[in-house]
Amino acid sequence: MIRLYDHELSGNCYKVRLLLSLLGEQYERVPVDLHPIRENRTAWFLALNPHGQVPVLDDSGFVLCESNAILVYLASRPGVPDQWYPRNDVQALGRTARWLEFATRLSGIISAARNHDLMQEQADIGALRSKARSLLRVLDEHLWFTEQAGRGWLAGEAPGVADVACFPWVMLSGEGGIDRLPWPAIARWTDRVKRLPGFVPMSGVFPASPGL
Amino acid sequence: MNRWFAVARGTEVPRRHVGHYLLLGQELAVWRSDSGAINAWENRCPHRGVRLTLGSCEGEELRCRYHAWRFASVSGQCTLIPAHPGQKPASTVRVRVFAAVEHDGFIWVNLAQGESPTAPTRVAHVLDSTRSIFVDAPLYAVRETLLDGYPVDSTASRLAVWSKDAYCLSAGNPDHAALVTFLLQPVTDFQTVIHGALHTTVEETARLARLRRHNAAMGTVRDEAERRAAAATGGGATA
Ligand SMILES: N[C@@H](CCC(=O)N[C@@H](CS)C(=O)NCC(=O)O)C(=O)O
Ligand code: FES
Repeated sequence: MIRLYDHELSGNCYKVRLLLSLLGEQYERVPVDLHPIRENRTAWFLALNPHGQVPVLDDSGFVLCESNAILVYLASRPGVPDQWYPRNDVQALGRTARWLEFATRLSGIISAARNHDLMQEQADIGALRSKARSLLRVLDEHLWFTEQAGRGWLAGEAPGVADVACFPWVMLSGEGGIDRLPWPAIARWTDRVKRLPGFVPMSGVFPASPGL
Repeated sequence: MNRWFAVARGTEVPRRHVGHYLLLGQELAVWRSDSGAINAWENRCPHRGVRLTLGSCEGEELRCRYHAWRFASVSGQCTLIPAHPGQKPASTVRVRVFAAVEHDGFIWVNLAQGESPTAPTRVAHVLDSTRSIFVDAPLYAVRETLLDGYPVDSTASRLAVWSKDAYCLSAGNPDHAALVTFLLQPVTDFQTVIHGALHTTVEETARLARLRRHNAAMGTVRDEAERRAAAATGGGATA
């Protein structure tokens, strides 16, 4: 039985909900209140994750924190198609690790910009937006050349955990005042992600019409 | 302004995708109906003003995200108000639409309203195109930077750029036919997109390498134009 300690508005939790749904996995959601109760700082939660953050996965007693680690674990279980974590293709595996790292860069910057805009947290918002812009430019360029080579996904021939890890933070960038207008290749990729069977949205992320 | 501007490569607006673009400060929702018609609409639902780019393309209609009103391809006419399904929407309920055509590999938009648009710009002999580059600098700064030369290859020759008009520049060796034509899209008063049309072909294996060289060269132009624009406004680049 899979249990996810979760927060609806968290981009890192959305990564995990998205992959679980794409894999067609049943699971139990345990909402953790981050504000104002800060359940994530209580003793019972800190025993699950000493960092005091969501998401945390509990798969029949195997407990794991860090969203990217959770994605890798979920996609590597026996019976899950190889495409999601391409462990038999070293180059695709290397690229997967690279875009997981990219997702971490993106989430750090976009979550800080978003917390500034939505929760009045202190930040040098100009610097954050300019860093976000540089990252999105790298992503758009990569996706444009990927399309030119006849592919549509970040790390390989098929969608994988790299796409799942980056998608939430790209979509939430608008809530940090980061404009995606300069990046049309990113917009087409987000449509492709939204059309994957089993796609689920979160608050502020809208589904796409059915493709052709 | 009664003028045509390239806003995107045609292949970059696939069916069932609603593209978000800006032209001279006008926000556009650009989409292709299943039957192939190109639409460039004001990005604003006539009901409550929600961005149509948040909505979805349903074949021959665009559906607004907020209350699911539907608008027909080409005319922008509202076809269905789900809260009043039995009622035919008034003919005044329509999205503001702009003239849009696809040719020479690009989607062109003309913002002129009420007057018949001039003949569209043509770019002869387009065989491929580069990645379009978004620049945080006004059109005149981008144009000036391009006219100073186009570094098509970081190590070798710099191509000369000669002018056709303010929005369309061709580059090549002046003794030969043009190799690339730049179509400049004024996004706002301080942002520009450079589109690049290529006039020669290369075999498929060399194609990606060539596109990468142009992408790098156009990136150099972008950085230089942004540097000049920032210097002209006395410091901080616009966000
Ligand atoms: N590196 C962690 C970051 C997790 C994270 O930032 N979680 C946020 C929500 S998105 C959180 O729990 N914040 C509450 C806190 O830090 O007090 C991961 O990828 O899972
Ligand atoms: S705002 Fe578009 S249907 Fe209401």
